[in-house]
Amino acid sequence: ETLNIQTSFNAGDFSTQYLTESWLPKIKEMTDGRIEIVLTPNGSVVPARETPEAVAAGVLDGDFTSVNYFAGLEPAYAIMGDLISGYDTPEQMIGFCKDGGGEAMMQKAADSVTGGEVQVVACGPYSREALPARTPIRSFEELAGKKIRSPEGLAAAVFQAAGASPVSIPFSEVFGALEKGIVDAADASAYVNNDATGLHDVAPYPLYPGIHSMPSMQFTINKENWEAMSAEDQTALKTWWYDAMYAMAAEVTKLDKELAARDAAAGKIEVIDWPQESRDKLREVAREQWQEYATKSELAQEALDANIKYMTEIGLFKN
Amino acid sequence: MGIEIITLLIVLALLALMAVGVPLGVTTLTVSLATAILYFGERAGFFIVAANVSEVLHKYELIAVPFFVFMANVLERSGIAKSLFDSMAIMGGRFRGSVGVQTCIVAVVLAAMSGIMGGEIVMLGLIALPQMLRLGYDKHLSIGIICAAGALATLIPPSVVLIIYGLAAQVSITKLFAASAVPGLILASLYIVYILVRVRLNPSLAPIYDIPETGLPFLQRLKFMKGVILPAILIGAVLGVIYSGIATVTEAAAIGAVGALVVAALRGELNWRMARDAMRQTVLTVGSIIWLVLGAVSLIGIYNRIGGGEFLRGLLTGLDVAPLTVIIVMMLIVMVLGTFLEWIAIIFITVPIFAPVVIDLGFDPVWFGVLFAMNIQIYYLSPPFGPACFFLKSVAPKGIELQDIFVAVLPFIALQALGLFLVLFIPELALWLPSMLD
Amino acid sequence: MARRLLLLSGGIMKNLLARYAEGMDRFSVFIGQGCSILFFACIAISAAEVVMRYGFDAPTVWSTETAMTLCAAAWVLSVGFVTERNRHISITMLELVVGERIWRIFRLAQLVIAFGAVLVLTMALWKPAMKVLSRTEYSGTAFNSIQPTIFKVLIVVGCVLYLAQLIANIIRWFQRTEKASSSGH
Ligand code: NA
Ligand code: NA
Repeated sequence: ETLNIQTSFNAGDFSTQYLTESWLPKIKEMTDGRIEIVLTPNGSVVPARETPEAVAAGVLDGDFTSVNYFAGLEPAYAIMGDLISGYDTPEQMIGFCKDGGGEAMMQKAADSVTGGEVQVVACGPYSREALPARTPIRSFEELAGKKIRSPEGLAAAVFQAAGASPVSIPFSEVFGALEKGIVDAADASAYVNNDATGLHDVAPYPLYPGIHSMPSMQFTINKENWEAMSAEDQTALKTWWYDAMYAMAAEVTKLDKELAARDAAAGKIEVIDWPQESRDKLREVAREQWQEYATKSELAQEALDANIKYMTEIGLFKN
Repeated sequence: MGIEIITLLIVLALLALMAVGVPLGVTTLTVSLATAILYFGERAGFFIVAANVSEVLHKYELIAVPFFVFMANVLERSGIAKSLFDSMAIMGGRFRGSVGVQTCIVAVVLAAMSGIMGGEIVMLGLIALPQMLRLGYDKHLSIGIICAAGALATLIPPSVVLIIYGLAAQVSITKLFAASAVPGLILASLYIVYILVRVRLNPSLAPIYDIPETGLPFLQRLKFMKGVILPAILIGAVLGVIYSGIATVTEAAAIGAVGALVVAALRGELNWRMARDAMRQTVLTVGSIIWLVLGAVSLIGIYNRIGGGEFLRGLLTGLDVAPLTVIIVMMLIVMVLGTFLEWIAIIFITVPIFAPVVIDLGFDPVWFGVLFAMNIQIYYLSPPFGPACFFLKSVAPKGIELQDIFVAVLPFIALQALGLFLVLFIPELALWLPSMLD
Repeated sequence: MARRLLLLSGGIMKNLLARYAEGMDRFSVFIGQGCSILFFACIAISAAEVVMRYGFDAPTVWSTETAMTLCAAAWVLSVGFVTERNRHISITMLELVVGERIWRIFRLAQLVIAFGAVLVLTMALWKPAMKVLSRTEYSGTAFNSIQPTIFKVLIVVGCVLYLAQLIANIIRWFQRTEKASSSGH
């Protein structure tokens, strides 16, 4: 069986190529050729925001999408999709999905926006996004007064609470806006992707490791397709996906680090790594905004509670 | 049924509906609905069309189009355009073809303001076309100049096409912008040379503006610059807000629209009636454009889903030829797709397939991006799906039919192809400027 | 007697249809021209954002989405006006080849095909529109407006206007009171 899966990755992204070359062949191996996956890039069949419906209707066999796109459908997706300034590493958050009840939470969200025709197989992030900036922002205090492109609701709320001015401009204008100084910083992508698109040419003070965003993905399959599979194949899909995400997280971190070290050495680009103290301050400010955001729906509150419980368990919060 | 046959059927259906005179938006919509329902059944088919159609309204880039159209309508209705072209004609003196050349230069300046093609074409179509016809320029030559030069908006930076290519192929957008500047100017020069040659061979194509002032010595003609000054300030202001970082390109278009009203007011030509009529005309013009985009976008979603991309990948990997030939074949594929698909569709279908191959063959993806953008220039003009032609048609004076426009652009398509092959065989034309950046 | 009644009722029917076409035309033009106001507002908001951000260092979170929504509304709702004026872009190359009589038949085909396609499109858009009406969809941005909900409903309204105006144009075709295409100005 060939599964048509739409991702929210762009065609030329490192992640698309990495998955296509290294991981798509593996699922075929693992299932003795019973399952093959074809990944189609962001927006190629339907807009990213519509993938849950598309999977439900059978237009797609599944999706592999950054769930932040669904924040407007159900506020819980904003919490699950990108708990701004929350986790420190992608591995921690994958842990939440796998062992901390994240999958079940994601399934509840999927059921609330579709008629229960979508099976959430797995979820989790693979990278912590860097924050390209055109002026140095060296600490929490220096965020004050900076114009930061942040279209997503939760990110904008956190930056605002930290004293910055969120600017909402469309993605296609980000490059120009950074180049011309319309904004001081912009949420974009992982360091490796920003490097490839030349964002650092126009924003030479990237904050890395990032301070705000770690977008979480979901991997879903149309329920009918899912139920037609053997338990063995179902387990294989789940295992395969988590293995791929752990490997990709490690790979992206490695590449990000190498590139950041290279750029820091070359001197043209100043890579700014926030002191832990600043990171903690931002997390405290962020936590209030999460709480506020979670009041938007019951499911959002449930998602936040689950996250905070897990974060406390792994020691990110004392209480 | 194989994808080859489906592709063929889609193309035939599109051509048949177009021939009967069905509006183009409805044509693509009909074909995409039919394909979707036949292929996926009612529920999934309906969904895929509905999702893509609604998404069109979310395209922020499109809102610059009404801004530019309104600006052009104000300039045209207020008489600013007329005095601009009168001044240009007088400044050009007895030099045959001068207004055509000047229009090309104005187009290049406008291209540095706008990142999308539609806005500039309608603007030139509204301002320049009636004036060139009034000055006695040949209909086909004028139309060709406007379509070809107006399309430069997406080759001369800033350019949405290059931004999307950069994102799809993960190539530096700074480098793409730097690399496309020279090829953009090469195309503009080719157009200018072509105009000069044509009007020399056949002077009736471009009569001299026959008023006494035209014959004055150059220095005395300078005082007729005044018609140029206000539009130049307006263009300068819009360019200024873009390049100084005050506004994004779309916002700058809005500033330009307000600026056009200010210029009209300075000339004492602004009144409620004029502004209202300019806006009503804008509503009619852009109203037809959204249905065109809508149909095209819904067709893309379907074609991708039924394996159009895979099909093309197969075509390519089946080849066993020299590397440069592969690039040429890619360019030919883009050209063919460009006759009937929308550019975003072309990028989505081809770039993911082509970009890795280009790198494997040892070529620079920046260079390929420039070739790609130049090819998109051809796509804008080439019938039957030539958006530049549609945009111009939406504002063209009565009596200019789409078929006139199609005929008019043919020689310019040849020039674009010539430019494309120049950059193909002499990559340095594109690459020397970005190499300065490293 | 029966025959005269039939003729009479036929006449009334014809008259009713003509009045529908007349009324629809006026309605479409009214709505279409009203869209001018929306575009003016869109321009004003976009320009004002620049002043707010650059002049007062106070970027707003609402301007982009509001401008887009106004613009899209104008864009979609003007469809009746565009259809009434026959301004949809099409290729009329065959008109000269096939002659006036056959082209007249083609014109009916154009109207009927457009009606059919837009009708099916309306059916396709219906369910998503009903869905967002029962469960509001937000943009998920900092402004978190109901833009996606507005768009999904808006486009259905646009399609209905399009269909209603196509009916008027079809009536005009049968009654031979079609308006000339008004391309250009
Ligand atoms: Na440009
Ligand atoms: Na074309």
